[in-house]
Amino acid sequence: MESTAGYVRDRCVTGIHGLDEILRGGIPYGSTVLASGSCGCGKTTLGLEFLVRGAENGEACAHFTATEPSVKLLDNVRQYDFFDMNMVDKGLINVFDMDVLYSWLGLTKATFDLGDIHALINAITDIVNTIGVTRLVIDSVTTLCYKIQSEQLIRDFLFTLGKKLSTLGCTTLLISEITSEKAGVNMWSSFGVEEAISDGIIVLGDVERMGHLLRFLQVVKMRGTSHSRAKYAVELTSIGVMLTPMLKWGSSG
Amino acid sequence: MIELDQKIAEQLSEVGLNSSIQVRCGTSNSFTVTASVIHPLINVFDMGGVYISASRGANEIIEGLESVGIATGNIQFLDMVSSGILGGTNTEHTNISYIDSPIMLESALLRTMYQMRRSVNERNFVILDSVNALAIYNEERMLAEYLHTFVNTFRQREVLSVIINVPDQTPPGVLANLDLYCTELIDRGQIVIN
Repeated sequence: MESTAGYVRDRCVTGIHGLDEILRGGIPYGSTVLASGSCGCGKTTLGLEFLVRGAENGEACAHFTATEPSVKLLDNVRQYDFFDMNMVDKGLINVFDMDVLYSWLGLTKATFDLGDIHALINAITDIVNTIGVTRLVIDSVTTLCYKIQSEQLIRDFLFTLGKKLSTLGCTTLLISEITSEKAGVNMWSSFGVEEAISDGIIVLGDVERMGHLLRFLQVVKMRGTSHSRAKYAVELTSIGVMLTPMLKWGSSG
Repeated sequence: MIELDQKIAEQLSEVGLNSSIQVRCGTSNSFTVTASVIHPLINVFDMGGVYISASRGANEIIEGLESVGIATGNIQFLDMVSSGILGGTNTEHTNISYIDSPIMLESALLRTMYQMRRSVNERNFVILDSVNALAIYNEERMLAEYLHTFVNTFRQREVLSVIINVPDQTPPGVLANLDLYCTELIDRGQIVIN
């Protein structure tokens, strides 16, 4: 019998300063990763940089925005030196408004049933398949899940979506909004089911130190790779997200 | 005009880029000693770098350095003081960026690395001014841990690190660790009266 001790899954190298070191090489290809955090902690920037680094390598990337219109999103991201509008013009970064997608699919109801959910999954996977998307960000999955009434349907939606995207070789970041209270009690998603379905969980949050908020990032879970589980201090700079280990004597606030 | 300490320039000519220099000064000579360190780095060794100011606002430091003939255009200042003063961040200098508080030690480290990544200089330094100022706000163990990280981070990247310190205002544990981590010592902590 052949030993599998040396087997290493291929990685999607995020290109984000420090994150690939934390993940011992990157996110295993085809994973669905929850990027959870409270407001203002850098989730959207992390997601956008993940796409930009892919586009720099010639990968086709897609961003589904449910929290702000795509025009506003692109306006905000232009402040960063790492972003180049040519990536959008060349079709390497494709930004989709969820509202436009809903109306295109005729999903005008306030809440989605099973049929609506499958229509949405098919639309997303069709886009991924047609463009050949290898990196996908949905910002935020929380906003999307508010339209789904039961935990069971949310579970089905995320499980089926993740499975289909993985089959297509697409590595996905699902941005998840959590309150700062939840971030402190080991709860990584709004509905509680997203974290169980995901292959990985990257938590972003704030540590309060003497009245000041310091951003942190922590990889709580990542299937298919060993990884650091320490807290890292985050700085959002014009050249991208930067990470350094948080001081041990100052990481608990 | 103050007279710069030429012996510091001689001592600096013998250190490598991966050195970590502890510069001890007293309360009354800190600016002279600091300027005596920066002058050769800029004017003789043609270096650029980052100056982390926790003791005074960067505006004041820039004016002081320029008054003794040190051009500051090739230095990026990280000011940890002025955000705590209303109106303190109003400046015309474009080479100053502000950190909210001296307790945000990791931010200072990341912003320094950010400036290093943007730097076009072949050889860079980072000056931390000063350990005793950071000790006002930060707990002893955390400050010792930070200095340990700081020294090792820049040694690994071949960036000359200079750590300014007034020893009698620094916790003994931090001081002992600095002695251990730093590779060189410039000691002007005692003022000799002739």
